[in-house]
Amino acid sequence: MATVGLAEFLGNIISEAGVSGHEDKVAAVVQKGMSGLFDEARTDALGNLIVLKRGIGRAPHPRVMLAAHMDEIGLMVTKIEDQGCLRVTQIGGIDRRILPGLEVIVHGRKKLPGVVGAKPPHVQERGEREKSVKWEDLYVDIGLAGDEARELVQIGDTITFAQTPIKLQGQFMAGKTMDDRAGVGVLYECLRALKTMRHHADVYCVATVQEEVGVRGATTSTYGIVPDVGIAIDVGFGDQASVPEYQSISMDKGPGISIGPAVHPAIHERLKSVAGELEISVQVDPSPHPGGTDAFAIQIARAGIPTALISIPLRYMHTAVETVCLTDIERAGRLLAEFIVRIDKKFVEGLKCF
Amino acid sequence: MKDLLKNLVEAFGPAGNEGPIREILRTEVEGLVDEVKVDALGNLIAIRKGSGPRVMIAAHMDEIGVIVTHIDEKGFLRFSNIGGISPFMLIGQRVVFANGTVGAFGAEKLDDIKDLKLNKMFIDIGAKDEKSAKEKVTIGDIGAFYRQANFQGDRVIAKSLDNRAGCAVLVKTLKELAGREIPNQVYAVFTVQEELGLRGAKTAAYGVNPDVGFAVDVTGTGDTPEAPTMAVKLGEGPTIKVKDSVVLTHPRVRQFMMEVAKNKGIPYQLEILERGGTDTGPIHLTREGVPSGAISVPTRYIHTPSEMADINDMENAVKLFVAILEAKLDEAIL
Repeated sequence: MATVGLAEFLGNIISEAGVSGHEDKVAAVVQKGMSGLFDEARTDALGNLIVLKRGIGRAPHPRVMLAAHMDEIGLMVTKIEDQGCLRVTQIGGIDRRILPGLEVIVHGRKKLPGVVGAKPPHVQERGEREKSVKWEDLYVDIGLAGDEARELVQIGDTITFAQTPIKLQGQFMAGKTMDDRAGVGVLYECLRALKTMRHHADVYCVATVQEEVGVRGATTSTYGIVPDVGIAIDVGFGDQASVPEYQSISMDKGPGISIGPAVHPAIHERLKSVAGELEISVQVDPSPHPGGTDAFAIQIARAGIPTALISIPLRYMHTAVETVCLTDIERAGRLLAEFIVRIDKKFVEGLKCF
Repeated sequence: MKDLLKNLVEAFGPAGNEGPIREILRTEVEGLVDEVKVDALGNLIAIRKGSGPRVMIAAHMDEIGVIVTHIDEKGFLRFSNIGGISPFMLIGQRVVFANGTVGAFGAEKLDDIKDLKLNKMFIDIGAKDEKSAKEKVTIGDIGAFYRQANFQGDRVIAKSLDNRAGCAVLVKTLKELAGREIPNQVYAVFTVQEELGLRGAKTAAYGVNPDVGFAVDVTGTGDTPEAPTMAVKLGEGPTIKVKDSVVLTHPRVRQFMMEVAKNKGIPYQLEILERGGTDTGPIHLTREGVPSGAISVPTRYIHTPSEMADINDMENAVKLFVAILEAKLDEAIL
């Protein structure tokens, strides 16, 4: 079965809704998109999609876990007012300044288009425009009031950004939830590359759930898989105006290979040396703070897992127009495939010797 | 329910010092279950053996309190908090220690009451000096609020409804189920140290290794004057949790709970608690993950010595729990 190109795969998966805790639909799209590239797929109790591509040769096979989270930030209905507006709270970290004027989809009894309301500048109090609107003053309007709204919407319904994928110039692509569906794109590229390669390691590609609310899916999926090597693929701050150079990695210069407390130095070195050997462009990305990505959850699972972190440069994180460069995703996928085919017993055992 | 609740809320048991409340609960559940045990952290685990999936139902039995950090030469005690405590609600309150010593909270002179912090406050046990104070308390002693419960109609005002209300719901649920055949094994756990970061539930769930988990705790309301936006009211039924700071209830579990409530005609409300966590958090992240849900008792003025709840919400929480545990959970959820 022929696989689609990266842009199409990515476009398909970012178009599906999957606010943290509600990832079942996006999991289905991811699994369908990856069909033909794996031996087994299952979802666990929390909804993590675990795709296994078996290694060849004599057992035991080293176990490699690649994790990218498929959940997205979004809103949740907390109250339905009689005037028709839906009161909301955030799921994951949302900068509420980006919300007024945004088009959204309310996932009620059916998909309902909605808009995030804002007070007209004409009737604002003096100085109001200088401040960001408070959560209690934000609301979503679906065009129905009170009981009519309650017919279709209930408390707990999720709301996603309505943004459809945008093909920018060159290899740049924008849309909602590139954080971290771009990482899922890396898993896809890696599996596509591995299809024609011989590898001894069993490869568990996990599209994790609930990363945005506290790396919850990676916590349980790592416990279940017990990998010898764990690699989280997430997004990093791409260079953009207003973000200092020392806090960002460059777009279209290859994935960031993170170094920091969550990263096992020997895996970091191996990733860099494989990239060097094959002339795959990468960037070293210091990640001084543990937590914040699935790498942290993987690292501290069970008795501890040797872990690494790869970051895809991304601009405008946690907005509806998160922007990535497809070449960075392709390079990360190829790098991981080449890293995996080089994994042997000696490397895995070496990770436990300091 | 009222007698049980009074007995539970007035019992002593700040986080890490759950001995007295644990003994009361042990007495309540013995005879209702097949086995009662206490784990290394002090969680009380009441087990109904049988067949079917293992279901853990949890309510934390600890309460918030204070810990003595220093005793000065005049016999005044400095203290720190055990769990979430606002200094403003301590003014005028009394504390009781495990040995029965009672103290009043006092504050230093402040130019502006907004500057009130716990480290500007002290406990006065009426001691004349350091020596006589030390005869009654030592550094590290933990105290709880000293309040009796009041019942007015269907409403109760008491300390520690968080979460003795949940404990009462669990005890009553076990009473209702006693002697009845159900298609699930039940591990009812009265957890410790929830108020310090959901600690007891974490180890208890690891030990129990449940197939499905449910917690019962209290939740806030939005039905008081100028309250924060929250679509939960006292007396309109227990809540089925959608979200709090530590869990997003699995949609299938939430749906199942709502269907059970609808089928049995039990009133319920949907709950989104924007700040605060419950034992459901650690339970659902146990091992490879456990599908988990939560029922809450709507409660006003949480983490004060005068929390308020409605008895009917607790009675309905019991009905909902019983109906859930009578269902074939392996077919409904797993």
